[in-house]
Amino acid sequence: MAVTRETAATVRDIEQYKYGFVTDIESDMAPKGLSEDTIRFISAKKGEPEWMLEWRLKAYRYWLTLSDEEPTWAKLQFPKIDYQASYYYAAPKQTPKLGSLDEVDPKLLETYKKLGIPLLEQQMLAGVAVDAVFDSVSVATTYKKKLEEMGVIFSPISEAVHKHPELVKKYLGSVVPYSDNFYATLNSAVFTDGSFVYIPKGLRCPMELSTYFRINEKNTGQFERTLIIADEGSYVSYLEGCTAPQRDENQLHAAVVELIALDDAEIKYSTVQNWYPGDADGKGGIFNFVTKRGACRGKNSKIMWTQVETGSSITWKYPSCILQGDNSVGEFYSVAITNNRQQADTGTKMIHLGKNTRSKIISKGISAGRADNTYRGLVRIGAKADGARNYTQCDSLLIGDKCGAHTIPYIETRNPTAQTEHEATTSKISDDQLFYCLQRGMTQEEAVSLIVNGFCKEVLQTLPMEFAVEAQKLVGISLEGSVG
Amino acid sequence: MALLEIENLHASVGGKEILKGITLALEPGEVHAIMGPNGTGKSTLSNVIAGREGYEVTKGNVWLDGKDVLAMAADARARAGIFLAFQYPVEIPGVTTSAFLKTALNAKRRAAGQPEIDAMELLKLVKAKTAVLGMPYDMIKRALNVGFSGGEKKRAEVLQMTMLEPIVAILDETDSGLDIDALKVVSEGVNSLRSPDRAFLVITHYQRLLDYIVPDHVHVMAGGKIVASGGKELALELEAEGYAKYLNAAA
Amino acid sequence: MKPSLITDHPFGEDYAKRLGVAPWRGHLPGPKVEEWRFTPLRSLAKIAFVPATADIDVDVIPRNVPKVPGAVRLVLVNGVYRKDLSDTDLGKGVELSHGKVAAKEGSSLVALNAAYAPASLALHVNGKAKKIIHIISIGAAGPTPTALHPRITLTAEAGASVTLVESHVGLPGEAYFSNPVASITVGEGASVRRYVSVDEDSEDFHLATSLVKVAGGGTYEGFHLGLGGALTRQEIRVALTGENANVRLNGAYALTGTSHHDITTVIDHTLPNCTSNQIFKGVVDGESHAVYQGRIHVARDAQKTNAQLVHKALFLSRGPQVDCKPELEIYADDVQCAHGAATGEIDPNHLFYLAARGIDPETARSLLVEGFLADGVNEIGDEAVREIFGAAIGGWLKRRQA
Repeated sequence: MAVTRETAATVRDIEQYKYGFVTDIESDMAPKGLSEDTIRFISAKKGEPEWMLEWRLKAYRYWLTLSDEEPTWAKLQFPKIDYQASYYYAAPKQTPKLGSLDEVDPKLLETYKKLGIPLLEQQMLAGVAVDAVFDSVSVATTYKKKLEEMGVIFSPISEAVHKHPELVKKYLGSVVPYSDNFYATLNSAVFTDGSFVYIPKGLRCPMELSTYFRINEKNTGQFERTLIIADEGSYVSYLEGCTAPQRDENQLHAAVVELIALDDAEIKYSTVQNWYPGDADGKGGIFNFVTKRGACRGKNSKIMWTQVETGSSITWKYPSCILQGDNSVGEFYSVAITNNRQQADTGTKMIHLGKNTRSKIISKGISAGRADNTYRGLVRIGAKADGARNYTQCDSLLIGDKCGAHTIPYIETRNPTAQTEHEATTSKISDDQLFYCLQRGMTQEEAVSLIVNGFCKEVLQTLPMEFAVEAQKLVGISLEGSVG
Repeated sequence: MALLEIENLHASVGGKEILKGITLALEPGEVHAIMGPNGTGKSTLSNVIAGREGYEVTKGNVWLDGKDVLAMAADARARAGIFLAFQYPVEIPGVTTSAFLKTALNAKRRAAGQPEIDAMELLKLVKAKTAVLGMPYDMIKRALNVGFSGGEKKRAEVLQMTMLEPIVAILDETDSGLDIDALKVVSEGVNSLRSPDRAFLVITHYQRLLDYIVPDHVHVMAGGKIVASGGKELALELEAEGYAKYLNAAA
Repeated sequence: MKPSLITDHPFGEDYAKRLGVAPWRGHLPGPKVEEWRFTPLRSLAKIAFVPATADIDVDVIPRNVPKVPGAVRLVLVNGVYRKDLSDTDLGKGVELSHGKVAAKEGSSLVALNAAYAPASLALHVNGKAKKIIHIISIGAAGPTPTALHPRITLTAEAGASVTLVESHVGLPGEAYFSNPVASITVGEGASVRRYVSVDEDSEDFHLATSLVKVAGGGTYEGFHLGLGGALTRQEIRVALTGENANVRLNGAYALTGTSHHDITTVIDHTLPNCTSNQIFKGVVDGESHAVYQGRIHVARDAQKTNAQLVHKALFLSRGPQVDCKPELEIYADDVQCAHGAATGEIDPNHLFYLAARGIDPETARSLLVEGFLADGVNEIGDEAVREIFGAAIGGWLKRRQA
């Protein structure tokens, strides 16, 4: 690709991360650093009941014992994080209790509008309800009333702690216990907001539920916690998106998402992750350490994860399924794109416990620039999982000769009647494909975007329509300047 | 006495009744054809006779030369003389056709109290039979059915039939996926095996195969039952008029 | 980074002292070492193995050692070369010597071998060797659990070619721990074929390390057959150090009882235009535990690499466990790399097809198992060895049925 190499010499200084602006808004912040006082501060800010504070403190005390347990097994290189240098709570002022969307600070509305997420209902995408989380708090939740009428609870988790303590108590930490791992434990201690969803028995939620996460403040970590419960026979499709301003310092994002699907329930969880990835030299960017796990607790239940990961300087994320119920189904569709100095170590775990459980993993990793992109996955078939099936397909694409693409699957089988099948390939965009497109008049970047979108098609087409178009564009944008 | 006698055979799959009382007798030397639209239980009938798992016989009997077929395991049925030419012969990687043929042939010979055949004799036999069938002899070095074309797979089925010399051969949609040349070769192979001490049950959707393997009797199957029987002219009639009137009769 | 270690095994401190190295080199890798996560060495570390002595009374070669037609036999008993049991005429182009081993390199197991290996059985090949070299390594513990450390060095000069067969077997007695290390250098344009069979008794340990270097235009073909032992590991590391080098690494295993069998391969592509192909197939029965880890590393400069890897395992019963970790670590873009892995049981459609041809279920199962493993065995380039290894699998199946 001699031609493309020449193009690389042309330095592109075009602004590529269009979400990199900062909203100038006054914030209410916790003192810098992490201590029991910080946790009490957060809990007090949220006016939490005693049991919630106790749970946080339990997690925090446990976290203190983990100082040597910060995971090092991922193929990621980053400086040691100073957990005392971050702010653990930041909330836009003047937003205590919102009666309606009209009371939301216009600056915030403007911010979300700029991000392409209009929060005023008249401008909203039809059929999508949005919870907007700005730094540590939820600033707006749309369509709330309409959903309530159907029995759907869609609210900030801080609100659910007050209004639905029985549900929160029963399910919080039931999929990702506070002791799960270093980052999840940290999150359990300091989580600030996030979404809570409950879909009642037998309801097929007619609306896409969506949360939009935004980190705005400097030196602030975001620790959101999402909990979704799909009761028997229900269905919900949930989307999350995330962005952050462009800053020279790294910022920490350590979220936890727990999904629970009861008998015959189905949860579809889609993510378009577009946190600030850092600049071309690897300066700045979000450290994204996320624990996402779903429990297919009921028989015939289904959880489907789709993720399009284009942002963050570091991504450490393994959305997983615990297939407990007989005949339950777990699916994981992933596109992970790393460019410049980005590093991603992402994949899934499919834990088969019940009979006739099925899982499918489709992972597409694209690495460009000087980035490293690792698929890491576990398929475990328990001794009792008769008739279990897994199919895994991991494809990696390398763009340029300075990047890396890695595939590390673990396949552990303890049941003779199970069938597992894993395939992985690594290749580059073929010169023939590229030339064909160029000959038809496309620019290099259009051609790459087109080919990469084709490469990812199987994953992108699982996204809800509104997101699929956005994601396709994002794939192209993320690879800008990569050809060469 | 009939070589194969099917009496009021009822069978179901997963609790759903597919065969609803089939009665049929194949006399020595006869070729019977069973025709019918898709999904009427033709393949179920062949699987039940051959003893595939997952099919539950709820009523009726099958006799092979006076022996109770349904009391036997699938492999015992084969050794007793039932041969099923599969619609979709499986591919078994790693198992060479020659190793497979030797094992199958010797299983049958042992059961019949005959001495086992050694590798050299087998090769000689295969050489002779493949020559007759116009097949490349080399094929027996390849893994069983792996990478065989549709025609090659069906020819391999006929080769096996030739070597195992069954009493009753069931051809399940043997014509599917064959071009006219392959169809001729396969049919010639089958015709060469016609003899007074053997009977054939030819299952097919189309009349075309019966131009080459000319049947003595033709039965129409619909809704899990035989709804009409006749001579070879019945096949021509079906070709001209279709199955519609029998479907209505079954419903 | 300091690995996590099993420090309380009986021979660790002693040999660290012998080597004059840091004490951790005297320890065994623990379960927190990623490469050993599926193969715990606790059971090994509990037994007080004493270093083997050469004066054990062995004058016959065990019966389960196959006769390779026209091969030269070289016999090691407890790691010591036994001239009295070996053939002397190596044929043209092959020279035998006995050298001391450099001690301070490699993993702790390689270092352990270096500390105790009496001498290396060194083969030097210059030209095209006519005869197959058959090395027979016999473990003989006698009345005390014994650790033995066979060491084989093979150097094929530029353009040379040789075929090596290794049989690792044991004599009745107490448990032994065999820790063989083979260092193999394939010169430019040279070709080495190496067929290893491990058929230890059910209480014995076998942790083998093969370190292979292949120079430009060289070819290495390895095959590893595993049929038993309490705990067996065959770790094979291949470095392709020149352009257009080619490695084919294959294997088959058949396990029963409580056997633990681990195949770990690392193929290091450092330069352009090299190829590597791996096919490993195994069947598991009883309560056995099979591990396959295969890493393909393609360095920045190794453009036009073609690397493929397949592992498939077949369950014969309820009880075994199979852990598989194929790994691609790729830093060059113009490459074709792929791996595949699968587990399952015998396909009922295959069984029915065979039954419909009159083959009883037990015979059908054997035929299908042999067929399943044949995909690996058929990769053996030498026809005689292919038959011998095929027959060994046949023997395993007969023993299983008996």
